Amino acid sequence: MAASGWRFVLQRGSRFILSRTTVESSSQLVGCIRTVKIPTWFEEHLTEDNQKYMRHSMAEEYRRQTAERLCPLKDEPWPRHEWTEGSRRVGLVAIKLGMAPIWTKSGERHAVTMLQVQDCHVIRCMSKEEYDGHSAALAVGGKNVSPFYRSEKAMELFRNAGVPPKQKVTIFKVSDNAIIKPGTPLYAAHFRPGQYVDVTAKSIGKGFQGVMKRWGFKGQPASHGQTKTHRRPGASGPGGDPAKVFKGKKMPGKMGNVFVTAYGLKIWRVNTKYNVLYVHGSVPGHTNCVLKVRIIRRTHSKLKCERRRRGFLMMTSDLAPVKNTIAPVKKHHRTCRTAPFIFSDVVLDQHCVFVCFFSRGQ
Amino acid sequence: MAACTRGLKNLLTSIKFCRTLPFQDERFLCTSALRFANNEPPKFVPPSKPVIINKTQTTASTRRFLSPEFIPPRGRTDPFKYFMERRDMVRRRKALNIPEFYVGSILAVTMADANASGKTNRFVGICIQRGGRGLGATFVLRNILNGQGVEICYELYSPRIQTIEVLKLEKRLDSNLMYLRDALPEYSTVDPEMKPVPFSPTGEVPVNKLKVKMCPKPWSKHWERPQFAIQGIRFDLCMTPKQMEFVQKKYAKPWEEYDMLKEYDTSKLEEQILAEVQQEMNK
Repeated sequence: MAASGWRFVLQRGSRFILSRTTVESSSQLVGCIRTVKIPTWFEEHLTEDNQKYMRHSMAEEYRRQTAERLCPLKDEPWPRHEWTEGSRRVGLVAIKLGMAPIWTKSGERHAVTMLQVQDCHVIRCMSKEEYDGHSAALAVGGKNVSPFYRSEKAMELFRNAGVPPKQKVTIFKVSDNAIIKPGTPLYAAHFRPGQYVDVTAKSIGKGFQGVMKRWGFKGQPASHGQTKTHRRPGASGPGGDPAKVFKGKKMPGKMGNVFVTAYGLKIWRVNTKYNVLYVHGSVPGHTNCVLKVRIIRRTHSKLKCERRRRGFLMMTSDLAPVKNTIAPVKKHHRTCRTAPFIFSDVVLDQHCVFVCFFSRGQ
Repeated sequence: MAACTRGLKNLLTSIKFCRTLPFQDERFLCTSALRFANNEPPKFVPPSKPVIINKTQTTASTRRFLSPEFIPPRGRTDPFKYFMERRDMVRRRKALNIPEFYVGSILAVTMADANASGKTNRFVGICIQRGGRGLGATFVLRNILNGQGVEICYELYSPRIQTIEVLKLEKRLDSNLMYLRDALPEYSTVDPEMKPVPFSPTGEVPVNKLKVKMCPKPWSKHWERPQFAIQGIRFDLCMTPKQMEFVQKKYAKPWEEYDMLKEYDTSKLEEQILAEVQQEMNK
């Protein structure tokens, strides 16, 4: 995992991308190789044969733990409970791929973010008493990583669940009737088009920034007798009576690299074969970052407005679990078509597509 | 259209032929009368089929061509994202024929427009820019209508686009013709009723080596600067050689040629994607 098998070599004269082996064998081609060789744990501790064996066996092991356990029904799942009003389902851990346009049936264009659900497993189940005394919780992890950079304690967690170590593990509060057995894989089919989600991720770090960028202060004019005062914060508070700067005063400092949540994003489309969610608008974080996607808990004012405009109440399937019960499949939105998936415990080869997009003309 | 005209011509020639025949009976044209006629009519000689060559009909090009929006930009984005976008692009291309065209080609685009009469809107213009990668690829058409310059930016994969016709397939000296905004209006004027010009489906795409005359300065951009590397402007009419040399020297960035971070060789990638797209299109 840590040592990449391919090394990209950019060479001025020949403009070829060569593999490392080619470069080593043909020495006359080596002009300027701008690669830095970082020895990995494998290379420090194992002979070449053992490295090869370990790489092979580990890949096998990972495959066995993820790909071959696609169906959780093989080892007995926990009993499925009925969905009731107020039950709360688990969310997903996804990877941000990037943005793309999408068109509705009426020809409107929307920008969507593609989120890939990759190796998402339930890691641990915590009962009400075990978690905080108010609600049960599920730890969900996503994106397989190398085991070498995880502590023994963390590894034990993954070993108990029978899954490879994950890059990110988050906790979702769930209701008692929505708990899932650890080791169960979760897919993009967990959500369906027309639902609304909250997406949490670490925003892009901006470093140490001034008040204009960080808090949107106005700054000072460029001319008219300004001396060394263009982007400064100005006064930080009254003098005399309080004779102090109040706590929480907006000041320059580190910006970004904090967890930010984008609320109430609509899911436009779900690809259940490749496990991709198409979520409305932009989400925090850089591309390829690992995010937490959870179903909306409250109805936000934005959604309320939309519902009022469209003239229907909040649909029950917004909160209905796909995992635990069969929620009624409704034709809930005129611009999206749901593939008739019912359970997410099998890999569905149906794609939810916009029919208009691939048909001729209007 | 072509078939229709051909049929009409056939009919006309046959009628002409019939008129020339010596008619004994007025009811000659009636088939039932013909069948029971006593005197045998002269043996019917079918007229030779007129060979109609439709010069306006353009065939699809057979050259290996990959639309530039298929090539992913350089960056750290997962190639899987581009793969997913390509799937959608190919599916759209199966529904709508998106022909091969370049900057400098003359196109006609029909677009669904709820506010237009007949619900569609057709625009003819010269393609001055192709932008965007993946599903969000765009192209800009420019024309001058009633003395007013009009530019429309179309999304290549928008479902509102109904047809894209190539009226004239050619390239120009530059890959971006935004300088036509500052050129004399005759260079961006295209007849909206233009008929398609036939082009050969094989071989190289013809390059129009036209050099345009510009309006007096100021221009929207300093087109003479080396960052644009414009070939298609007659700078000799608006600038002295000394001025030109000065600008070229002042704004040159000779180090960029040696910037290894800007190297991006797409030839291999292009081959790979072309093979994949063709395979998907033939499915």
